[in-house]
Amino acid sequence: MHPHFKESRSLLIIPALNEEASIGRVIDGVRATGIDIDVLVIDDGSRDQTAELATKHGALVVSHPFNLGYGAAIQTGYKFAVRHGYAELVQMDADGQHDPAYVPDLLEPIRADEFDIVIGSRFVRESGYEMGSARSAGRVFFQRVLAFFGGPHIADPTSGLQALSRKAFEFCCSDFYPSDFPDIDVLLLLDRQGFRIHEVPVEMAPSPPGRKTMHAGLKTIYYPYKMLLSTFRSWRTPVSPGAR
Amino acid sequence: MDPAKLDLDTLRQLAILQPESASTRILALLLCGAFLIAVLMLVYRGKLREEYTPIWTMVAAGMMVAIVWFDSVRLLTRLVGAWTPSSTLFFFGLVFLLIVSLNYAVRLSGLSLQLKLLAQEVALLRQQLAAHGEVSKTDDTQS
Repeated sequence: MHPHFKESRSLLIIPALNEEASIGRVIDGVRATGIDIDVLVIDDGSRDQTAELATKHGALVVSHPFNLGYGAAIQTGYKFAVRHGYAELVQMDADGQHDPAYVPDLLEPIRADEFDIVIGSRFVRESGYEMGSARSAGRVFFQRVLAFFGGPHIADPTSGLQALSRKAFEFCCSDFYPSDFPDIDVLLLLDRQGFRIHEVPVEMAPSPPGRKTMHAGLKTIYYPYKMLLSTFRSWRTPVSPGAR
Repeated sequence: MDPAKLDLDTLRQLAILQPESASTRILALLLCGAFLIAVLMLVYRGKLREEYTPIWTMVAAGMMVAIVWFDSVRLLTRLVGAWTPSSTLFFFGLVFLLIVSLNYAVRLSGLSLQLKLLAQEVALLRQQLAAHGEVSKTDDTQS
């Protein structure tokens, strides 16, 4: 336990890979909101000054010795939160797409013990967010897949802006959690294990231009394929009575 | 034999019974021997762990048996319904490679998970040490 670090009951985790251009601004943005929350940056093997800048801007930093993937970085944040006794957690991206002003809205239903996972959704209400046609098609496809496997209807199943209760992030520390893209497969598993999922409307900035995402190149083919397989696995995973 | 009276079964029998050339057998035996020696040398140099050798030793031994006792390949050819011993060998070779590849993919998946867990643990412990001032930033970046 680090008394000079753990000052809040809530933790904001930011997985980052080569985000030196935006990480300082994102951390400052969180601080500017005045929210009582500790900030942890998980540097996923960056080759730039991401970790140094995050430390300089007052965040806790955990650095992977090499790149492990977005999901593994998120999970490292969960493990950190479990070890340091945080009661709830918010995760957001390091590229500045997510507005930290929504963090209280995400945390409120968790603190009230109404829900275990709260997703910041661009589509639960008309937000004016413009998604490319391929990504829109992907979103509808994943909603259908989720429905096919008996999962909940989630308007924005690929949103990275989420809040989780302690029980939910404790559960996500297990080996099932994917190293690359934790999306509908994780949501389906959490839903099947009895965790309560909710969406709150948020607005997001468009992805920065030129940014490599899972929707680029060959990953456009691999991502849905992998998601189908892992969603099937989530569907087949037995429900553990004590998970929630 | 009257070629006009050759039916498919006879043709197949002829294909199965075609004599194997001595030079091919010698070459195959030499290759198997070289393969066995290569496996032993890799173990000796510490580049191949002993627990991964049985499969390759058995493959080399199996190939040697097949070369010396070629009738076993002919028997197998009849059993699987192939036309020539060489196609039987190719078929089983491919099946073997598929199984081996799948086996290594499974092992790699397990190792990837272990590697991820270890790397996460290293990252979390480093952060904990750094927070206690036991690791300077310089040490961290040098490692």
